[in-house]
Amino acid sequence: MTDLVLEHVHKNFGGVIASNDVSMRVPAGRITGLIGPNGAGKTTLINLITGMLSLSSGRVLFGGRDISAEPADKVARAGMGRTFQNIRLQKEASVLANVMVGFHRHETCSLVAAILGLPSSRREDALLRQKAMALLGRFGMAGHADSPAGSLAYGHQRKVEMMRALATDPDLILLDEPVAGMNDVEALQLGRIFRELADEGKAILLIEHNMRFVQELCDHVYVLDGGRLIAEGKPRDVVADPAVITAYLGEE
Amino acid sequence: MDTLLSFRPLFDLFLIHLGFAYSQYIVLRAGAFSIGNVGLSAIGAYTAAILTVNYGLPLPVTLLAGAFAGLAFGALLAIPLARLRGVYQAIASLAFVQIVLSANLYAENVTGGAMGFSGIPKLVGTGTLLVFALATIHVMLAISRSRLGRAFDAVREDEGMAVSLGINAARTQAIAYMISGLLAGLFGSLEALHSYAVEPNQFGFHLIIVILSYVVLGGRRSVWGPLVGVALLIALPEISRPLADARIMIYGLILMAVMNFMPRGIVDTLVARRTRAANPEVRQAEVKG
Ligand SMILES: Nc1ncnc2c1ncn2[C@@H]1O[C@H](COP(=O)(O)OP(=O)(O)OP(=O)(O)O)[C@@H](O)[C@H]1O
Ligand SMILES: [Mg+2]
Repeated sequence: MTDLVLEHVHKNFGGVIASNDVSMRVPAGRITGLIGPNGAGKTTLINLITGMLSLSSGRVLFGGRDISAEPADKVARAGMGRTFQNIRLQKEASVLANVMVGFHRHETCSLVAAILGLPSSRREDALLRQKAMALLGRFGMAGHADSPAGSLAYGHQRKVEMMRALATDPDLILLDEPVAGMNDVEALQLGRIFRELADEGKAILLIEHNMRFVQELCDHVYVLDGGRLIAEGKPRDVVADPAVITAYLGEE
Repeated sequence: MDTLLSFRPLFDLFLIHLGFAYSQYIVLRAGAFSIGNVGLSAIGAYTAAILTVNYGLPLPVTLLAGAFAGLAFGALLAIPLARLRGVYQAIASLAFVQIVLSANLYAENVTGGAMGFSGIPKLVGTGTLLVFALATIHVMLAISRSRLGRAFDAVREDEGMAVSLGINAARTQAIAYMISGLLAGLFGSLEALHSYAVEPNQFGFHLIIVILSYVVLGGRRSVWGPLVGVALLIALPEISRPLADARIMIYGLILMAVMNFMPRGIVDTLVARRTRAANPEVRQAEVKG
């Protein structure tokens, strides 16, 4: 089982402490929530986990292996997929092309075959096209396959990011505000997909401001404020925690 | 028939420069701002010339050696350039071109120095050039459709995003440098074995501007961009002789005009226009962003 474990993770940007002694666990087969007011350090934590930022101190263990010092591409190949809060797509490329690039780490045809356009490369291309279309179908996006990704509504762009992350076939998925900009119906549909993914054995870390969504979906929730964990537990208990209420109200 | 024959040197030039243009295109496609391919062409040209004249090696061997020399130096060039981005990458690659040029000037007993290396037999004609040009286009199209092309596009568009998908950016760009070097070396060799002589300054600033003009005018993304750029810019000065005398100045003007008014180049602009027509939603998004 590929659990993610954070041990005393610490990060400061000059004087700003963005992560302060954060220890947490994101187990396989579960949806783990990460909430907190704006600027709490949620996105920073994802960047630390995925190797896009380097830790000031502490350790990140993935499937028992210390990945704290590994570069981001290697971490991704170890089985971590993520989405970005500030959507990062190839805007002019088609939705299909955006999703297909996610298959990169599983592509097997040789470099020479790709360069020379040998049949093995064409076969792989056709196969991946099919797999990408299946993913699009699952997210109700098949009709948008050929649209330039940048032309879609933000909610749909977030779905493209999720499909691309899933194309890497990760053991752990880190979702940074995946349903921001979506209506309740769309959010509910995605929630169902997240649950399916967890049931398949994947670990999911979900950052979300929509508290109802978090309560309905998450098995366990961590609350960050000012880079520090201030609460954790069942969603129901966490939202009733006085410290959490103060953190949120204090911010208003 | 006579008029057709009189266009033959021009067509040969077109084919050789098409190869140079693709050696530039492939690094830009992968998001690397290197113009080192001009230096790699020089290495290929001198390798082929020296092996042919001094060692009497047959054509296939010298072409292979020229292409391989380009590839090997492309791989070496990738190492320092991987640490640099954007304009710094461009400046460092320009320095590389200058180093090759200087080396060819100073190593007089091997390269003939400033006088150039002459007496090269003409072993390459239009047919050979055409075969290699077509093969190059095929390879460019194959790469575009493959995982390599997808990785190139991802690294160019957003390196952080590419990396989050498990793509090793430095390795991906190194592959682009090697393919670029292979093409540069190959077409440099073809140039040497086609035009009787090579001299150091032939692969200098002038050629950099010419090749960049092709790719900027035609387009940097679609495989057809460089082809259109080379065809237009080679045909243009031929339309009137006075234009031909001011070729490099005209290229410079075109370069500035295109970058201002059609920054994506002709082919990529047309492609974007067509997708927009097919997807009316795009217009909305463009107004927003
Ligand atoms: N690269 C950086 N350099 C300096 N400071 C940074 C950097 N990235 C984040 N910070 C700071 O770290 C703190 C945490 O930011 P972060 O983006 O992780 O918060 P967040 O919880 O994701 O907030 P939001 O809900 O608004 O997305 C903020 O004070 C932010 O200004
Ligand atoms: Mg954030």
